[in-house]
Amino acid sequence: MRRKQAKIATDPVAFEAFYRRNVDAVTRFLARRVDDPHTVADLVAEVFVAVLDSAHTYRGELGSEIAWLYGVARKTISAERRRAYKQYQLTDRVSGRRTLATDDVTRLEERIDAERNARQVFEAMAELPQGERAVLELVVIDQLTVTEAALALGIRQSAAKVRLHRARRTLRNLPFVMSGASG
Amino acid sequence: MTFEEHLLMELKAEIADRTERHRRVTRRLYAGGVVGLLAAAAAFAVPMLTGTETSAYAVSTNADGTVRVEINEFKDADQLEQDLGAAGVTADITYLPPGKECKTGRGKTVGAVTALGPGADAAARMRDGGLDIDPRNIGKDQTLVLEFAGNDKETNETRKQNTLWRLTGSMIKGQVGPCVAIDDPSWKSGNKS
Repeated sequence: MRRKQAKIATDPVAFEAFYRRNVDAVTRFLARRVDDPHTVADLVAEVFVAVLDSAHTYRGELGSEIAWLYGVARKTISAERRRAYKQYQLTDRVSGRRTLATDDVTRLEERIDAERNARQVFEAMAELPQGERAVLELVVIDQLTVTEAALALGIRQSAAKVRLHRARRTLRNLPFVMSGASG
Repeated sequence: MTFEEHLLMELKAEIADRTERHRRVTRRLYAGGVVGLLAAAAAFAVPMLTGTETSAYAVSTNADGTVRVEINEFKDADQLEQDLGAAGVTADITYLPPGKECKTGRGKTVGAVTALGPGADAAARMRDGGLDIDPRNIGKDQTLVLEFAGNDKETNETRKQNTLWRLTGSMIKGQVGPCVAIDDPSWKSGNKS
């Protein structure tokens, strides 16, 4: 039996509200990780298509929307990275590669520029074990709480705390990372 | 228009598409080509199959011109087809054991005609534990194909199942191919959709 779909995947009005609430955060989330405006735009599209695909896991009442969405975005971007080794092919469901107007490119480049520090931190974090890095990314770079990060990753809060603690210890000498960390 | 607005438009179109696809599939499942009706073990099946007749089925004609068939046992399909034919209903009846279904594609389904459903426009309508079949809704060169799968009687064994029997109906134009029985995965999962 088909699982009950969240309203955001079936009701255009509910989806539009969801989209407008979050499109900015998603764009910035991606700009922290990818530095090409076209790829960012394509990934924004991919993430929201993934939202439609994963809407049955969406629980509006459970924890924060943004944590769920970042979880979807993370999966999308890792799928994207896996695909980068093969030939890059966007799903044909939402038509092909975005055509961007000059204005779009400029705005996206500004976003990407604004997130430059974050991308540098990513490079510094590259050496961390993947599980720890994932928690640190979400908490420090994407400003989620530990609870939200755990939700986004589908792990227990206690596990997220342990990983975060370890990651911070490893990166003690990175002041930027430490200052951004919370809870 | 910014790319965000553009994307929103495309995504909303995608949602409409998906809803339409889903609706179409659902409608097809209930009305058009192939119809699945599942009987929950107690609630639905018993009235249909608890006839007092001793024969496997009874065919009669209603005052409104529809043909009524009540099935008591899943047997004598050929005889039932003949009796229905005599009453003006071109039908193809198949009885299958539980867990089986006929492989789809037995013929060219008539999408515009509702084979089985609650509405008056349906060729076959479930009522009071029997089927009312309207021969006027079966076009020339069309066959009402009814596939029953499951048990006709409730037993201790069937009580463990979610489904006692299942009826799939479709309207086929032209030649109706033979039923090739294959496993029906929805039985295993206890799916009641």
